[in-house]
Amino acid sequence: MIAARHLTKKFGTILAVDDVSFEVKRGEIFAFLGPNGSGKTTTMKSIVGLVKPTSGKILVHGIDVQMHEKGAKASVSYLPQRVVFPENLTAREILYFYASLRGISRSDADEALEKARFNGFSEKYIGEFSGGMVQRLGLAVISLPDTPILLLDEPTASLDPQGVKRFREFVLEQKEQGKTILFSTHLLAEAEQLADRVGIFVSGKLVAQESVDGLREKFLKNKTIEDMYLHYVETFEGQHQ
Amino acid sequence: MTFSPVFHIARQELTVNVRNKWTLIFAVIFGILVTGIAYFGMIAEGFSGMQNFARSSASVLNLVLYIIPLVSLAMGTLSFTGDKGSAELLFSQPVLSSEVIMGKALGLFASIALSMASGFMVAGIMIISKSGPQGLTSYLAFTVLSLGLAFVFLSLSILVATLARRKSKAFGFALFLWFFFVLFYDILAIGITLLLSGSTMNLFLFLSLFGNPVDVVRVASLIIFDTATIFGPAGAALLRFLGGSAMSVTLLVCALLLWAILPMALAVKIMRRQDF
Repeated sequence: MIAARHLTKKFGTILAVDDVSFEVKRGEIFAFLGPNGSGKTTTMKSIVGLVKPTSGKILVHGIDVQMHEKGAKASVSYLPQRVVFPENLTAREILYFYASLRGISRSDADEALEKARFNGFSEKYIGEFSGGMVQRLGLAVISLPDTPILLLDEPTASLDPQGVKRFREFVLEQKEQGKTILFSTHLLAEAEQLADRVGIFVSGKLVAQESVDGLREKFLKNKTIEDMYLHYVETFEGQHQ
Repeated sequence: MTFSPVFHIARQELTVNVRNKWTLIFAVIFGILVTGIAYFGMIAEGFSGMQNFARSSASVLNLVLYIIPLVSLAMGTLSFTGDKGSAELLFSQPVLSSEVIMGKALGLFASIALSMASGFMVAGIMIISKSGPQGLTSYLAFTVLSLGLAFVFLSLSILVATLARRKSKAFGFALFLWFFFVLFYDILAIGITLLLSGSTMNLFLFLSLFGNPVDVVRVASLIIFDTATIFGPAGAALLRFLGGSAMSVTLLVCALLLWAILPMALAVKIMRRQDF
């Protein structure tokens, strides 16, 4: 469903993503783990065409992102790390706008608004929303089109515990619908609970990609994913210094 | 490029800007200034009370040449260097960069045009009620030229925002452009002519006119008001060289169109290669 082949991205002299290859299968939940600046966001942005790779290739739903950007984007819904909407528009207007760009009817947008539990807030201006509510609206926007792939860049970063719980429900609900989900997170517990597989980024390299259970098998049975994550980060960061 | 996303993006941009208090403030101030200048603008020349369309347009011309470029540059850079999260979400939709740029530009232009048109309309109604409709056609043509000037500087602001990317840097560039085109260009052109002579000087003066959209609108407006002779022999020579008023205005409008299209086209080309 998503395939990256020898993806490399340089920003000037900085090597942000270094020869990364991976595949995410249909219906799979894949989590990117890694310290800040390790290449998770750049890789995600490359998948949705926001970052142009220096070399390598990305296929989304069988479509080469660089060759057919618009077609590839039609298969993907992307939630940026820090989603922002114009403060003087209402939640309903925001949803109508993104629905119109995807050719979705207003009644479907109304339904998505109800589903996201925005009753009572749909006519309020975004300027009156809390950070968590803006993030929730972002989730409503990306779940609006029936795209087979969801990309979520640190989606729980600004959510309170209740919001995190709702996010987990959202992800599982999307998985039930057969969607392929790729998300990045700093919360290792989140990856452990939601992901089928994880990929660990260190200094632009994807140093490990395996199922959560598989990773545990590789190490001692009683180790947590946190121990394994730290093992990879310390080992590979040491190699790059 | 398809029209549908352009239309939806333009509509959203218009809504956002119409609800922005600064757009309203600009509309009110512009309206007051246009009406005020139409009323008081020629007191120094011994005229008092509401002027007719020809005199009002000539008086308002300088206001338009100073304020419209500044407002268009400011609104354009603000919109195109907006929040990263908002741009990322928009550009991750199945839309082309050219569709986003065109949509945002049209929406912004519509909001500036609404503010300007309301100012011109209020003044126009007052002029008609006091001095009659003589010269209305020239006044309307001048309004269109002013809107053209707004679009040109909006287009320049998009290029500036695309190149600079950061808001503060883009504002710096935009202010420099305003200073260059509105204040510095003519001084520079006159300075260069001092170094030239004869037909070379004339040719340089003629060509330099097209290098500044502010001058293009200034000259086209004066031709429309039938006051190109204000330039003296140079104005008469210009009209002769271009083949009369109609031909001159057509050529100047074509130049203005190029000024409107080229910066935006360049911005689209650059943005296609840019990362977010």
